[in-house]
Amino acid sequence: MIGIKNLTGGYGNKPVIQNVNFSLEKGEFFGLLGPNGSGKTTLFKLITGALPAAGGEITVDGKPLSGFSKLEKARMIAVLTQEAHVSFDFTVEEIVSLGRYAFQKGLFKSLSRQDRKVIDDVMELTGVTKYRDTQFRLISGGEKQRVLLAKALAQEPKIMLLDEPTNHLDVKHSFHMLDLLKEWQREYGLTVFAILHDLNVAALYADRVALLHEGSFLKTGGVDILRDESLLRQVYEVDVKSQPHPYVPKPQLLMTPEEKADPQKDHFSRSYRVRQNEGLIHIEFNDPLRTISNGVTGEGIQWLNHFCNFHVNKNYDGGDPVDDMTNWMANQGIPPEKAAGMMTAVKLEDMVLLEKEYEGIRLLAMVTAGVGNAVDITSEELDSEIGKIGTINIMVFLDSHFTDGALVNACLSATEAKTKALQDLNIKDPYTGTIATGTSTDSLLIGTTQKVERTPYAGSGTVAGKAIGTAVYDAVTGAVRKYEKRQRRS
Amino acid sequence: MPSSFIRTFLSKRIFWVYVLSGGFVLGAVLLSLIWSSVSIPVGHVVHILSDNVLGWSLMAEVPANEERIIWNIRLPRVLLALCVGASLALAGAAFQGLLRNPLADPYTIGVSSGAALGAVTVIFFQLTIFGLGSFTLPVMAIIGGFLALMLVFGLVKIASRSLAIETIILAGIIMSSFIGAVISLIIALGDQDAMTQIIYWLYGSVGMRGWSHVQLIVPFMLIGMFLLLIHYRELNALALGEEAAEHIGVNVQRGKIVILLGASLLTGASVAVSGMIGFVGLVIPHLVRLISGPNHRHVLPLSLLAGGGFLILADLVSRTIIAPKELPIGVITALIGAPVFALLLIRNRLGKGKTA
Repeated sequence: MIGIKNLTGGYGNKPVIQNVNFSLEKGEFFGLLGPNGSGKTTLFKLITGALPAAGGEITVDGKPLSGFSKLEKARMIAVLTQEAHVSFDFTVEEIVSLGRYAFQKGLFKSLSRQDRKVIDDVMELTGVTKYRDTQFRLISGGEKQRVLLAKALAQEPKIMLLDEPTNHLDVKHSFHMLDLLKEWQREYGLTVFAILHDLNVAALYADRVALLHEGSFLKTGGVDILRDESLLRQVYEVDVKSQPHPYVPKPQLLMTPEEKADPQKDHFSRSYRVRQNEGLIHIEFNDPLRTISNGVTGEGIQWLNHFCNFHVNKNYDGGDPVDDMTNWMANQGIPPEKAAGMMTAVKLEDMVLLEKEYEGIRLLAMVTAGVGNAVDITSEELDSEIGKIGTINIMVFLDSHFTDGALVNACLSATEAKTKALQDLNIKDPYTGTIATGTSTDSLLIGTTQKVERTPYAGSGTVAGKAIGTAVYDAVTGAVRKYEKRQRRS
Repeated sequence: MPSSFIRTFLSKRIFWVYVLSGGFVLGAVLLSLIWSSVSIPVGHVVHILSDNVLGWSLMAEVPANEERIIWNIRLPRVLLALCVGASLALAGAAFQGLLRNPLADPYTIGVSSGAALGAVTVIFFQLTIFGLGSFTLPVMAIIGGFLALMLVFGLVKIASRSLAIETIILAGIIMSSFIGAVISLIIALGDQDAMTQIIYWLYGSVGMRGWSHVQLIVPFMLIGMFLLLIHYRELNALALGEEAAEHIGVNVQRGKIVILLGASLLTGASVAVSGMIGFVGLVIPHLVRLISGPNHRHVLPLSLLAGGGFLILADLVSRTIIAPKELPIGVITALIGAPVFALLLIRNRLGKGKTA
């Protein structure tokens, strides 16, 4: 659709843009990225023609852009910039109507029926119909930008060039605008070229992106080039962490502010408090821990302060456990958004809580265990009858610094230790009669302080893994013994 | 459909605005023909007009002196006021639209001064450009006005790069002062007679000019009008700024040149026949915008009508208020226009404070 060859240009003698080459396919969304001063706007102006190029060529459908008349260009390419100043008190409809300039014919050049229809349609689509007769000057910044978008769409362009189109917009309006562009891209094959200052927005909406650095393209490609953290660090000079979006297979970037060392790091033993009663074990840490968990709330990988293990009646029906638990936490004065929660029918006084140090790693383990629902996961038979008391809840807190991968390692280590404990205790799956590997509803949480040297490993071959393994083995053994003792008494 | 209803209503409203403006002009013409030191009955006036224009005699006998007064003195005077007022208001509307500057007007941005210098040169040195004859005066005034405009633009470009509202006005004042000094110099070099003539001419007047001056302005007015009226869409688009106008397909460079040329034609020709009449081009487009909205499709023709009517009335006041003496018409327009200008300046500042 658009081909750009050796484009060079800028202000004064030294061209800001040097030999830029790229091409846009029909119907693609191309995002131009780069830090301030990298020449994004200059490149944009060279493409729109607002700035004459010092060298190179721009072609549209193979024909040089300079060969098109201004009217032909306007019927093909629409431009939306961030400036939203309009002099005099023009109404929104009059502004949108200006988009039809290039289409008006005849001696009087008035708006045709077709022009009117297009104007009505684009106003409806951008949601500005209700401001039709309002003065442009009087509407808010977000609405202004939508009006200008409507004006650009009224040109029925094949190509849309946008300079930071969402600059003054809040999240809602930004996404609304970009969704709209995306829709036109899909429906009508609109080709979009946009300067985007927000890398995450670019990752979500662009098909391809280019990173402009000091006047030339450092890298062009799919949005996955945004996974290249060292590239982004080089261009933006900030510590960038690339993460996958949880629901969309696109990268999202997290910027890390310059870290200053915490001057008064608490000793691990003094960094938490444990509160226990019949209904709840509540472990609270002063600073948030990096956690991985399959608990009822606070699941996945998070940063959390509060860790709860609630006692429930064995007949608890579990209609909406997340909602219930959130309420319970709120009742106890625990902020649910900063807490992970598990539940168990086991008596909480049978909890095992142990703090230990293994090869310099301090850790705390909390286990409540019941084995009424013990299951051998390797057996193919499935017992559909669940509901007896019996779940093993494990929380392990370490004074370490784990990567996400190490957190997964830690889960493996804890699970292996639990299984080994059940094996040594000769706990059997009551249904199959074989040695159980766990219970049907086990929960696990690993939390790390992240305040020491970072390690990517916490498997069985590492000190951290061993620390977890020995602690979990001891705690599970102790908790199951207490459970069995109570079972025998009753 | 409600929207089409609104549209019909709007187009109906604008229709009535046109009818009203047309009526205003016609009323102003008639009033001005009738009302003077020598009162002439309406019937006689209508007779004289129809007799001379259409060849229809409505009445048997009208005194010959009445015919002379109406046809040779008052009618050309009224028509000249109409043409000058229309030209200046239209030029003002165009300058304001082009510069996106509500304070622009041929007078405030120095075009009138440039035109005056051109005209004074012709009058003082009794110049005649070969082949132009009596049209030397308006042609030189137009050239003078256009040159002054270019100089003002150059000054603004050097001073601030952006065409900031205040900078343009400031440059216009600098230009006016300088040209005023040059004109004074020329006058001082001349004799007493020429001095009085030129000074009085400079104040601005449409009296004692006769049909010859109407003939001088009409061709330029028609060309200027045509150039501006067909460019109403470009003026609308320029409200977005030059870059954005370019993006919707406007050939900004060509549009600007044509519009400036048209406005200079109108201003130059007006100054050539009537001297410096200020503020018409400032006040009228503003009043029109208040009623019709900012769309130049209506602002331009309505300014034309309102400006013509306004100047006829201003002329009527100027020759009746201290009768039998006459006040220069420029005094009347300045007395009305300068306070309005101040008001706009203040409102502009306040408005900026609010939106910024």
